[in-house]
Amino acid sequence: MTRLVCPFCGPRELREFVFHKTLPADDNANAYERTYQRVASIALSSEHWQHVEGCRGWLLVQRNPSTGQVFEVRLLGAGAA
Amino acid sequence: MRLASRRMRRYSAWSLLRARLAGDRYWRPLWSGRTLQPAYDVLVVGAGGHGLATAFHLARDHGIKRVAVLEKRLVGYGNVGRNTTIVRSNYLLPENHYFYEDSLRRWETLSRDLNYNVMYSPRGVVDLALTDDAIPALARRGNAMRLAGIDAELLDLPALERFVPELEARRTRRFPIVGALVQRRGGTVRHDAVAWGYARAASALGVDIIEGCEVTGVRTVGNNATGVETSRGYVQAERIVFATAGHTGMIGTMLGTALPIETHLLQAMVSEPIKPLLNCVVVYVSPGHGETYICQSDRGGLVMGGHLDGFPSYTREGQWHRLEDVVQGALELFPRLGAVKILRHWAGTNDMTMDGSPIMDRLRYDNVFVNAGWCYGGFKAIPASGAAFAQFVATGTAPDLIRGFRLSRFATGHMLDEPGQGPFPVRL
Repeated sequence: MTRLVCPFCGPRELREFVFHKTLPADDNANAYERTYQRVASIALSSEHWQHVEGCRGWLLVQRNPSTGQVFEVRLLGAGAA
Repeated sequence: MRLASRRMRRYSAWSLLRARLAGDRYWRPLWSGRTLQPAYDVLVVGAGGHGLATAFHLARDHGIKRVAVLEKRLVGYGNVGRNTTIVRSNYLLPENHYFYEDSLRRWETLSRDLNYNVMYSPRGVVDLALTDDAIPALARRGNAMRLAGIDAELLDLPALERFVPELEARRTRRFPIVGALVQRRGGTVRHDAVAWGYARAASALGVDIIEGCEVTGVRTVGNNATGVETSRGYVQAERIVFATAGHTGMIGTMLGTALPIETHLLQAMVSEPIKPLLNCVVVYVSPGHGETYICQSDRGGLVMGGHLDGFPSYTREGQWHRLEDVVQGALELFPRLGAVKILRHWAGTNDMTMDGSPIMDRLRYDNVFVNAGWCYGGFKAIPASGAAFAQFVATGTAPDLIRGFRLSRFATGHMLDEPGQGPFPVRL
């Protein structure tokens, strides 16, 4: 894993992005679960990243943490398609 | 205490002389290949430093007879063989510095306790300040340590120059050195020898060390686990200990409970061997390049490491830009290293907890124990962790030394957040 494809900026080097956190499996997770607990999976990890050295957009990244394969990168929040 | 066994030869000056005379025939395997039994009093999963040390103390201090250590690959294949071998107890928070000080005291006598030379070298750990505002932070940490009776000294430039002349502390630099916090008893230990020494000593006490045996599941009845499914069949156990650094999150998934742990990669590297250059461990945060730590192994290679890669991964493939950061940080302090080649570099998986401190507690079931979350500091903790965790598993009550490391601290708000950065393993 050396690049991410930003929906705004296109393929960029990984060092431009900053990982924030892995997301809970359950959308109804309470505050403690969302803050402290992390889902561990060797096949699929859903994460929040930010393109800090680019458009500074917040991204949802889905990837395989055992192989580095990236399944999806999309923009988070209002205006996201 | 004497390690009595038919299989194990006790090492001494006399035994070395005999070995010299007898040639290779004298040497025997350090731990014996035993067959997996159908049932055990305690099953330890993971033959790394913490697992082997726990098994050793269970057998030696608590007289538990039937102990096995199950290992997916080989003894010492994981982080105990991938770290940068540094031992120290220079922590700010009381729960941490008392625990790591207990560990450092055990390192001092470990070679004797195991009858195996682990090459403890108290060469000094030097935390450099490259900015003015790093000094009050180091002073605060040093004062906290001194109040707990742990050695720490804040050095000004002349004193630092006397302690580490090779640093050329007063030389003009882009980011000049301002001062340093030194722990003289800190230093390095030969990491592989720790795994081998504990495995040998545990094996001599009758612990079964089973390599190439992967645990795939846990059988349970109500609030108790009854045994584990392995790649070699089902094994019954009274108590189960997980010491699977780097993959503890997956143990949580296996037991159906999410943990406050993310798995991140940490890289380290070693240069080609060169003549003696640096006689202590140097740690600093280089403005612009992040954290760098550097020491020289007894073989002459410069061992270097830095900060985490920055995102969860099980690949053990380090990011090049992080490697570059560490090398740039090292060159900034020692420009003459520009002519030295990197020989090897590697990455290890780290259990990063949400406050940066370990977890030593029961996990979901009354008789399942987890020794995890050592972040990037597990190696130095091995002797204290083994002794304290064995007491916990044997008696069912956590000793005071590790009570702060309970899992429930995240829910009750008693985090041990040493760097004070909130519930994230990586600073944003």
